[in-house]
Amino acid sequence: MTEIYTPKSIQEAISFLAAHPDARPLAGGATLIAMRNAGLIEASHFVSLSEIGELQGIAKTGEGIRIGAMTRHRETAECDLLTGSLAVVRQAAGMIANRPVRNMGTMGGAVSNADPAADYLPALACVDAVVTLAGPDGQRDVPVRTFVQDWYETALDEGEIVIAITLPAPRNELSLYRKVARVTGDYATASCAIAMDGDTIRVAIGACGPGPIRDTEAEETLRGHLANPEAVTAFAGQLAALADPIDDVRGSAEYRLALIPRLIHAGLRQMKLAEVA
Amino acid sequence: MQIEGEFNVTAPQALVWENIRDPEIMAGCIPGCESIEQIDATSFRSVVAIKVGPISARFNLVVEITEEIAPETIRSRTKGEEGTRASILTSQNVLRLADDGSGGTDVAYAVDVTMTGRLGKYGLGIIRKKADQLAGVFVENFRKRVVP
Amino acid sequence: MTKKTLLTLTLNGEETDVATPMDATLLETLREDMGVLSVKRGCNQGVCGSCTVILDGEPVRSCLTLSARCKGHDLRTIEGYEADDIMASLKQHLTQSGGIQCGFCTSGVLLSAQTYLAENPHPTRDGVKSALSGNLCRCTGYRTIVDAVCDAAVEVAR
Repeated sequence: MTEIYTPKSIQEAISFLAAHPDARPLAGGATLIAMRNAGLIEASHFVSLSEIGELQGIAKTGEGIRIGAMTRHRETAECDLLTGSLAVVRQAAGMIANRPVRNMGTMGGAVSNADPAADYLPALACVDAVVTLAGPDGQRDVPVRTFVQDWYETALDEGEIVIAITLPAPRNELSLYRKVARVTGDYATASCAIAMDGDTIRVAIGACGPGPIRDTEAEETLRGHLANPEAVTAFAGQLAALADPIDDVRGSAEYRLALIPRLIHAGLRQMKLAEVA
Repeated sequence: MQIEGEFNVTAPQALVWENIRDPEIMAGCIPGCESIEQIDATSFRSVVAIKVGPISARFNLVVEITEEIAPETIRSRTKGEEGTRASILTSQNVLRLADDGSGGTDVAYAVDVTMTGRLGKYGLGIIRKKADQLAGVFVENFRKRVVP
Repeated sequence: MTKKTLLTLTLNGEETDVATPMDATLLETLREDMGVLSVKRGCNQGVCGSCTVILDGEPVRSCLTLSARCKGHDLRTIEGYEADDIMASLKQHLTQSGGIQCGFCTSGVLLSAQTYLAENPHPTRDGVKSALSGNLCRCTGYRTIVDAVCDAAVEVAR
């Protein structure tokens, strides 16, 4: 039997987790309760984060747009603040699973779980988001691009929780999220978050390794050559070289690698159409 | 699922053979190995703990050596479970040693593993990556033990 | 015997005290402690949709919801839609179109469809398919379900 503790503040949550090493923080429950139901997780307590006001809501701040860890995917998918360069994050949110799951799952939970095939991480890596963590030693910021360290392993230390994800202020640019999956709402077989940055693109590939794949040097090399398909293919090749895809029911490693250039080319075409529109 | 690999040890084949057959040494090198116990001339019991993200599992394994051709080949099979038979694991294993021509030994392994139950259902693709990582750690540990 | 605690839940407009294990999912509490069998346990992983219930007007997975978190919230199952015109039309069309075979997915389908049509009185076929993407059916092949929802939409709009 797992007990449920519902703290009213971040501090209360952190203190409880520190005092109970077998307790687990509970965000939306879309993943943790599924694992519990499958018998994969046993916890002495679930520390429910649902009543902590500071973890709720999306707001403009001095740094940009701050998304509270308990923000449900539905809210992110409907958020008007996520325009232009940040539209990719809004789109990714809208492609997660289905409506009931989007009503339950949270960005903090998804980012903490760091499923390699989940949709947020490539979108957040594409926009250079920053994750704020809180723990017994206080708060700290970790860029999303270094947040995922290994398969299902993140920068979270024992007793730490994600409290917010901050995106830079939106710029008037095109961005989009594109995913290949077996059926609508499935985890990605491979996915691509692209943002137009003047005469180059920022690209993060998802579901092809432990975390999202970006190569800023390759992006610089591509600058000014977006209209050259061979340059784009070479760029895709550099990302594929950094990939470490698995073989699983959603696709083989080979298939995922083959999807990377196709996703990028298709994403660029989609952007061109949006430009003209 | 096939898990295969090879590595080189800068130690003579006879020494590598001796060490790789020694359960005490293997227990010290296999990451997560909590115990190895010899049951009879050809069988060992072992407990190995693995963690992937939030999921921890403790495997109770029995390894049976089915063929040994000194100092080159060991064939064995493994049967095991975790979580009181919540997952069942079986594997056929082959280990081959060869002199690398410059005083060292090339070691090649091939493991054909089947997992059913709660872990079998959940992301076997990640398990291969995890296995590759653990193999890497094993190789480091083995080299430290064996290379004089 | 699992230790139970007393929870006050508001189901289909009625407040009830329920004795249920503290860490029970809403699916377990509804079926085992409240006798609400319209909610089904399919995958228990949140994928199949047969456990769908409406929480504060939004569809959620009861198999992934902790009952302890539902105190003070408004819960609805299909039993709570007896007086709803959209639901009545959906039920009739689903029965007629061949969109019900074993019936296991039906409660979830009806709740997802009702929520969608209440917000989208003139849906496209693709919109219906997208709205039902979280409800799996092993019997019908989906076409007759989608037909029924589209037909119900036309009828309700009249």
